[in-house]
Amino acid sequence: MQKRKQQDHAFLYTLPALVLTIAFFLIPLVYLITVSLFKWNGLGPMEFVGFGNYDYIFNHRNFHKAFRVTMTWLTSAMVLHIPFGLVLSLMLSRQPRGWKFLRVMYFIPNVISTTAVAFMWYFIYHADMGLLNALLRAVGLEQWTNTWLGNTRTALFCNQVPFILYVGLTCIIFLTQISTISPDLYEAAEMDGADGLRKDWFITLPLLKPAILTNVMLNGAFCLRAFEYPFLMTSGGPSNSTTNLALYIYREMMSANRYGVSMAAGLVTIVLGVILMSSVTLLQKERS
Amino acid sequence: MKNRLTFARGMMNVFLWLVLIVMLLPFLWLILSSFRPNMDLFSEPFGIPDTLNFNNYVAVLESHPMFLYLFNTFFVTIIAIVVDVAFAVGASYGLMRHFRGKGMVAFVLSIGLFIPTNAFLVPYYIMINKMGLYDQLMGIALVYAGVNLPITVMVVRGYMATLPTEVVESAQIDGANSLQTLVRIVLPISVPGLVTACVFVFIHCWNELLFANILNQSDSSRTLQVAIRSFLTTFEANYAYAFAAMVLAILPTIVVYALLTNQIISGMTAGAVKG
Repeated sequence: MQKRKQQDHAFLYTLPALVLTIAFFLIPLVYLITVSLFKWNGLGPMEFVGFGNYDYIFNHRNFHKAFRVTMTWLTSAMVLHIPFGLVLSLMLSRQPRGWKFLRVMYFIPNVISTTAVAFMWYFIYHADMGLLNALLRAVGLEQWTNTWLGNTRTALFCNQVPFILYVGLTCIIFLTQISTISPDLYEAAEMDGADGLRKDWFITLPLLKPAILTNVMLNGAFCLRAFEYPFLMTSGGPSNSTTNLALYIYREMMSANRYGVSMAAGLVTIVLGVILMSSVTLLQKERS
Repeated sequence: MKNRLTFARGMMNVFLWLVLIVMLLPFLWLILSSFRPNMDLFSEPFGIPDTLNFNNYVAVLESHPMFLYLFNTFFVTIIAIVVDVAFAVGASYGLMRHFRGKGMVAFVLSIGLFIPTNAFLVPYYIMINKMGLYDQLMGIALVYAGVNLPITVMVVRGYMATLPTEVVESAQIDGANSLQTLVRIVLPISVPGLVTACVFVFIHCWNELLFANILNQSDSSRTLQVAIRSFLTTFEANYAYAFAAMVLAILPTIVVYALLTNQIISGMTAGAVKG
């Protein structure tokens, strides 16, 4: 009896979080799926169209483009952002002079809003008064100056540069894990004559798997949500070359008033998220 | 051999400082430009201001209720942090013990981690409207609390899982009830995990644009991020004003970071990586 009462208590503690999760995740998920089956402008009557909205997006060139752009974002996280953060953290873990200061400074962009950062980079790329073109002119590379955000060949990568560059959080997550590695392992390796790079490769890297997975999860989620950079820097242009899924969902709802289409695209994003996070979770389980 | 090593180390240091310059130079440029008249920005983008000229700042503060926006952002952020941390502490504490359906509860609480919430644009918009909270701070705060709950639960639960279970059990043997155990024993030793969770939620809410944008119409519920977004259109002709507005918008987080650097970095260190 006593035990039973305690058990109920334990459940009660989880109740508020449970209610909030149901209200902000489960109900919206059901609602999203429902809306995606209707033709609806958000105000008037809803017209059932079955899988019509999915049919539409799967045959819509702009949706294909948006899907590809989101994939490019994920790729830049995996092959540029995370490796860059890893390299910096391996360097900082050697504790060169001022490493603590560097660690603190690298994190600064992470506490500044994406909105302000996006806005700032918009001006950096500005054709007339931008920092980038001014720099190029100053060093005599006049011919390299470009309308960075107005050119379909450069706009998408320019969108991603601030994300790739600001690796403060990623770097700190790696550093934390590195600090938990026992120094004995390194000493043993040194006795065997391993130099710094070999120690990184054979000892540090394999032991960093949990931090790598954490970073894949956090940055992958960020890329699926990435909205401010394309929205503020290029408004998705030129010719939709920077419109990703997040911006596509927003546009279909707010500008085109096609709520059903917007939510069909929303479900695709959610499926991507579930695939990404499930893979990470499976890999996490594998190690333990 | 020795020389080669020293050289490699030297190159590494140069690289690390170079990265720092590339990262932060744009911010320095932004700050310097915010003190210069608009005309100069075009004629000479690189110039250093010869005098400390606050005209841009005065113009921005006179034309826009920046302090109201600042307050609004602060308000929604605090509400979200308080709700999320309180609920996450409850959930994590409950899940430390055994009860029927525990697995199910843990599963439901983790669902949010798998979902990119920007997909919920329509559901949240309709929900908040139906609740009569459109264009109100409470509406934005509620969405922020909901969206950030999963990560908060993950961080707090991950931290509490590292606490020795004997501590909790011995407290119960001593006759403390479950609430007393939570407040007197578990909470005090969970502070580093809670700090990490607060930092995560703070950074996310302070900087959020998408939901704040679709749930807002008037000044009374406009957050800083929505405000600086509108500067891009309203200040089209005067970039110098926009620069000043941006500096005003990012200043508070920089100050908070400068004051709490050690807690934030060590907080991240305590909770961000498990196992």
